[in-house]
Amino acid sequence: MPAPKQVNALTEHLFRQEAGKLVAVLTRLFGPGYIQLAEDIVQDTLLAATLDWTSGSIPDNPAAWITQVAKRKALNELRRLQTVRKHQDDLTLGQGVTSTEVETIFMDSEIRDSQLRMIFTCCHPALALESQIALTLKTLCGFSVPEVSRALLSSEITINKRLYRAKQKIRNQSIPFDIPSGSDLDIRLNAVCLTLYLLFNEGYNSTHHEVLIRKSLCAEAMRLTRLLTQHFDHRPELQALLALMCFHAARFESRLDRHGAIVIFEEQNRNLWDQQLIATGMSCLKKATTGNLLTSYHLEAGIAAEHCTAPDFASTNWPSIYNQYERLYQLKPSAIIQLNLAIVYSQISTTQDAILRLEQLLHDKALENYYLLPATLGSLYFKTNQRMKAQFYFKKARELTLAQSAIDFFDRQIAACQS
Amino acid sequence: MREFLFILKGDGLEHLSPQEMQQVIQDYKAWMTNLGDQYLDGQRLENKGAQVKDKNTIVTDGPFLEAKEIIAGFYVIMAPDQDAANAIAQSSPHAGLYTIEVRPLAQPTMRKP
Repeated sequence: MPAPKQVNALTEHLFRQEAGKLVAVLTRLFGPGYIQLAEDIVQDTLLAATLDWTSGSIPDNPAAWITQVAKRKALNELRRLQTVRKHQDDLTLGQGVTSTEVETIFMDSEIRDSQLRMIFTCCHPALALESQIALTLKTLCGFSVPEVSRALLSSEITINKRLYRAKQKIRNQSIPFDIPSGSDLDIRLNAVCLTLYLLFNEGYNSTHHEVLIRKSLCAEAMRLTRLLTQHFDHRPELQALLALMCFHAARFESRLDRHGAIVIFEEQNRNLWDQQLIATGMSCLKKATTGNLLTSYHLEAGIAAEHCTAPDFASTNWPSIYNQYERLYQLKPSAIIQLNLAIVYSQISTTQDAILRLEQLLHDKALENYYLLPATLGSLYFKTNQRMKAQFYFKKARELTLAQSAIDFFDRQIAACQS
Repeated sequence: MREFLFILKGDGLEHLSPQEMQQVIQDYKAWMTNLGDQYLDGQRLENKGAQVKDKNTIVTDGPFLEAKEIIAGFYVIMAPDQDAANAIAQSSPHAGLYTIEVRPLAQPTMRKP
């Protein structure tokens, strides 16, 4: 009689991470037109693992087990399709792959390379930005379609369509599966940075109510950015982007209290900030400023660094932050940056002056539905004890947000105005 | 104490995400640890196989049944009675993903309780 079996533990997110790795490896094997096939084989492999490990024991090296099974399934598929190809001339799948090449592709050192190729393919400028994000989550981060749709607050049908179209485009336009070089690299890396930046923001700034999902979006964006910095260690924009992510992620925990309610920046417990991440961010920022390149990521990281290194809210270096926002506005003029400029302005000038500046922004079409504008006005009016006006703006902000934590926050502010 | 055979039917796992599959394994680990000596055996069945209908008809290489009829695997569990066995099945990570048939083994136990 078998004794209750000893069960090995699985590292957190093992399946998700292995899925991301293997889809990249198999796509390299089959060619970029066959992402779907790669995904199917990986899903099939993980299914086998789940079934085996819930009726037997978990092997000593679960990741190696998964890789072995995926490889076997992929080789079987290649053989099967090579037989079919004899009758179909247009089939380009895995053409000319020798068995030595297959062995090489599955080596640890090559897996990172495949993932990098996958990043460049998923973030190819020929694809729509929203498709790039969805495809990255699906293929590189091991999210399922329902998970992608939950993460991006979209319907499964929409995400499915987006993914389908993106894969079609990769296939039809023969989007390459490689790591670009030369002048091509600059353009392609720009596209990759933007996608990862948006992916991170999706987790960090979205009105999503599920903290777990938001955290894993940020973690995935950071993981992929780190992967890129390991390969391109001399690219300042990547270091700046990673620095920016580190500084924001360091403050993740302090932004919500124990009950999931929003804590405003001024009142955040700075002891909760992750000092190690801040230190990593600082060292990335240092590497980022070695060249002449100045990107918006540099400035955003610089601003976040000022916040992270200030011992308390009052001693924040506001003039430096204001200055960096002004340069950021020159790089990418947007109403949101104007709003931030006005907020920072309230720290270095009188509250009344800042209110005037903000009220001018009320007519800006781009900020019409942006809840942070009335929210800021509300809190400034509250500060100067003009409670009627404060209440008016808090109510307006409340109407513009969908996130429960934000709604609760504004309800508390409205109640405070009435007391 | 009696032995019960849990027969798992369906294709419940197939539509889970990698993260959710891993969760099933982790829940299973907790479930089994909890059961201790009451857990006797378990096996997954391969998808392939044959169905012998009568002396002249053999259907090989499935899928030869409807998805919800496919037997994915089984467990042998020791429990005081049917109700207790049902409760164990309901507490398993497979409940909800598979239909679980809980059937007492007729023959006296061959294993020591």
